[in-house]
Amino acid sequence: MNVVDKYIDHVRKEVVQESDKGWEKMILGFKANKLRTKFLPKKNLSRGYQKLERLMMSLVADSLGKEDTYVWGNIFAPCEIMECFGLKTLSVECLSCFFTGYHLEDYFIDCAQNGGIAPTLCSYHKTFVGAVESGAIAAPKYSVTTSLSCDGNLNTFRYLEKKLGVPFGFLDVPYADDEDSVLYLADQLRELTKNLEEKFGVRFREEKLREILAIENETRRDLKEFLRLQKEYFYPGELICQLYLMMGSHLLIGTEEFRDVLKFMIEDIKSYPKFTGKRILWVHLLPFYQESLREYFNGNEDYQVIASDIVLDYMEDLDVTDPFRALSQKIIHNVFNGSYRHKAETIAALAKEVSPDAVIHFCHWGCKQAAGGSVLLKQEMQKLNIPMLILDGDGIDKRNSHDGQMKTRLEAFLELIGTEDLPC
Amino acid sequence: MLGYICKYAPIEVFEAMGVEIKRIEPEVTNFNQADMKMHPNICSFAKGVLEDVMMHDYEGVLLTTCCDSIRRLYDVLKEEMPDKFIYILDIPRITKDAGITLYEKRIRSMIKSYEDFSGKKFKEEQLAEVIKNSNQKAAISRKKNCKNIGIVGARANQNIKKILEEKGANVAFDLTCTGLARKLLLEEDHVLSGYTRGLLSQFPCMRMEEAAGRDALVLKYGDSVDGIIYHTVQFCDNYAYEYAWLKDKITKPLLLLETDYTKQSYGQILTRVEAFLESLGSLNGLNASHIKRKEGEENMYVMGIDSGSTSTNAVIMNEKREIVAYSVVRTGAKSGESAERILQDVLDKAGLKREDILRIVSTGYGRVSIDFADENVTEISCHGKGAHYFNPKIRTILDIGGQDSKGIRLNEEGEVVDFVMNDKCAAGTGRFLEMIARSLEIDIDRLGPIALESTENIEITSMCSVFAESEVISLIANNKEKADIANGICHAIANKSYSLMKRVGMEPDYMMTGGVAKNPGVVRAVEEKIGAKLYICEEPEIVGAVGAAVYALNQVLT
Repeated sequence: MNVVDKYIDHVRKEVVQESDKGWEKMILGFKANKLRTKFLPKKNLSRGYQKLERLMMSLVADSLGKEDTYVWGNIFAPCEIMECFGLKTLSVECLSCFFTGYHLEDYFIDCAQNGGIAPTLCSYHKTFVGAVESGAIAAPKYSVTTSLSCDGNLNTFRYLEKKLGVPFGFLDVPYADDEDSVLYLADQLRELTKNLEEKFGVRFREEKLREILAIENETRRDLKEFLRLQKEYFYPGELICQLYLMMGSHLLIGTEEFRDVLKFMIEDIKSYPKFTGKRILWVHLLPFYQESLREYFNGNEDYQVIASDIVLDYMEDLDVTDPFRALSQKIIHNVFNGSYRHKAETIAALAKEVSPDAVIHFCHWGCKQAAGGSVLLKQEMQKLNIPMLILDGDGIDKRNSHDGQMKTRLEAFLELIGTEDLPC
Repeated sequence: MLGYICKYAPIEVFEAMGVEIKRIEPEVTNFNQADMKMHPNICSFAKGVLEDVMMHDYEGVLLTTCCDSIRRLYDVLKEEMPDKFIYILDIPRITKDAGITLYEKRIRSMIKSYEDFSGKKFKEEQLAEVIKNSNQKAAISRKKNCKNIGIVGARANQNIKKILEEKGANVAFDLTCTGLARKLLLEEDHVLSGYTRGLLSQFPCMRMEEAAGRDALVLKYGDSVDGIIYHTVQFCDNYAYEYAWLKDKITKPLLLLETDYTKQSYGQILTRVEAFLESLGSLNGLNASHIKRKEGEENMYVMGIDSGSTSTNAVIMNEKREIVAYSVVRTGAKSGESAERILQDVLDKAGLKREDILRIVSTGYGRVSIDFADENVTEISCHGKGAHYFNPKIRTILDIGGQDSKGIRLNEEGEVVDFVMNDKCAAGTGRFLEMIARSLEIDIDRLGPIALESTENIEITSMCSVFAESEVISLIANNKEKADIANGICHAIANKSYSLMKRVGMEPDYMMTGGVAKNPGVVRAVEEKIGAKLYICEEPEIVGAVGAAVYALNQVLT
């Protein structure tokens, strides 16, 4: 066992045995990992993905170290507004992924389930609720959630408020994409800024929000350009890089750091060889720990995940002259809001843009909105003659999926899409 | 006829247009269509509605954006039934003025769509008439001389109420969305606005922002009843949050009951509800004081018989509470036939005849199929009584039988205070061990002793029995030792068991019952996990039957 594994094992034991003592050590580990990404980046990653990993490690390690610098959010919380107050947004879904670094997900999930939380709930939410139930983590002053996409959001944040007394700002995202909805949500966004002003004693400046949205527009254009290039060039990455991109495009969008990393990636990717393998469009979350998937998608020049709906769930420019309205439109028009027809059409549009050889839809345990429409999406992809594989599993809890079964399905699918020389 | 599902649906609007509208209450035998067109891991209610709508001739269905599963149900129905009125109404989660204004607009759009679809016309005056003529029932209705039960949580399946009524209990309140009276407000000048305001001011469900205010009302209502059933639907996770929060706040006995809207789930609901009522001291018909020991008779015998999925067990007990004889046989395809067999066997062992037995109480999963029993009591109550009989210090029981596993917590009188049951999947049961033993090509009786010889720790990560079996096969393929695999399986069972015990509230002393208590590998693993010794009686399979016999004896002696 090397020193890193020993530390991970030590922290895990400490959290399980004396939960209140583990938190500081968890943060210390995140900080050490941040340094590792700076001085000893993973050699199998392309330079851009190394930078991206470092940025995400910094976001988590730096924020957690100072409780008044961040809020808890869900992945769709409008981080642009929090940025106006100098606050980072740490989504509970992403933090749950970071806890897996200490192999704590099963312990936290058991804590949540033993406390009465439904075993069929999304494992990201269970992990986070369990971390709170176990007493292992410290809380910030405030949190922000939307109702977008997932029933768990409102319920999880309400539960956290009851358990830990962390108040939360709630944004009710209407289903219909129309003017009434936009106005309804825009008013809630304005209300959120007032609550944040009161909570953090910082005055809100609309001008600042405009600047952030301008950077966001630039970043989104860069992101689209990067995805366009990724279908042309082999840019070594790992499955988890898609999650880092998702973190960036949701928790750091509108920041100069994320924009700059993307700009670097756009230039850097052109120095890599042309990609001649199979291009995969990934739909929904990625089980980054799954052995068989890692084998095929981590730095494999035969298969490259070139885009994912979780990264580019909104594709248009924002109107910086009317920032609340623009943010409201962005959230309402998100691919995960409204009918599945809207989602299927948006993914079809993305598919036309990035021309994948195949689509893989991962049905994450507990995510009803994704799983429930997977058959409809497959029909939509059939219309475009794009083969699609539906994989059932769990994005975080290893106990809910079986690698052997996943490997068989994946390999059969890869054979089906006409690959000639399988790597194993 | 239109179907609808949600309490926020403006059904009076349709009634005002003369449209028949029916709340969909699915009770289906399978989810074949839903599993094919949606996904197996969708809320069972949504899947049930899909099956129901495919089976019946609705003019259309009015859905609401109440949850993720229903949103996807709408998408599928819309694709499948393009000629019907399949409509999803967006309900704001915020019930302040902004929400009311938005909802009224949404209802107006819905009316317009239905007018276009049907050619009918909506008039506000007619809605006002419907509201005036509506009956609003009382929220709480307690009854004397019976157990008053309240129902909270996700929409209550009609079988729960039916079973409660059949067992002589009164449903004093139903705070789920199927039980609440509608709140209809009439504002003469703004009929639809007032009506919308009324709809959104109903007792909030868990999707609403205001739902934090539910706690106070649930706790207030809870004080007025003898026990509360907290209902959840399989694959609907929203209400479990409330249960997790309220379970330590509610002072009255609380039963967590999960249902799945299939006809087959009736038996599972029945066992849990019966056991709950028994734990409240409402043993229906068991206060049979007319059964008396015959005068002049020297000895008196009663029998308890436990019809489980794997074994049928019988115990004869005398008036001194001594076990006179017991017998354990394998349950065949027909539980009634196994019972007949064991009746003769145990009578022979005791040297008694059928007419010597004054009273017979049956228990277990096949308890209702035993014709010669005078009464039946659930296995949960019987395990409680049986455990108390063997060792009065026992407070927490882990029972692992052939097809289910249970955690039961007792008070010092041996009465059940709380219980949790897993009878929905094979993981952590005797059947699971049998499957694994087959894969390892060893006799089931050898699995435990072999596990004790293990030298290497192997972790079986999968919770699902099918996944676990594949995992075991992979381990065999990797030349892992049988002893180590067997030990890994014992630990997997121990983890599952720990979770059951934890959920029921762990209190020492601990006892393990059921056939799996004979497996030394599992016993050792559970003891390691809970950090305490398990009390195991000489024949752990007969604890339920002993409890049934104690019930029979108590009846005769009272």
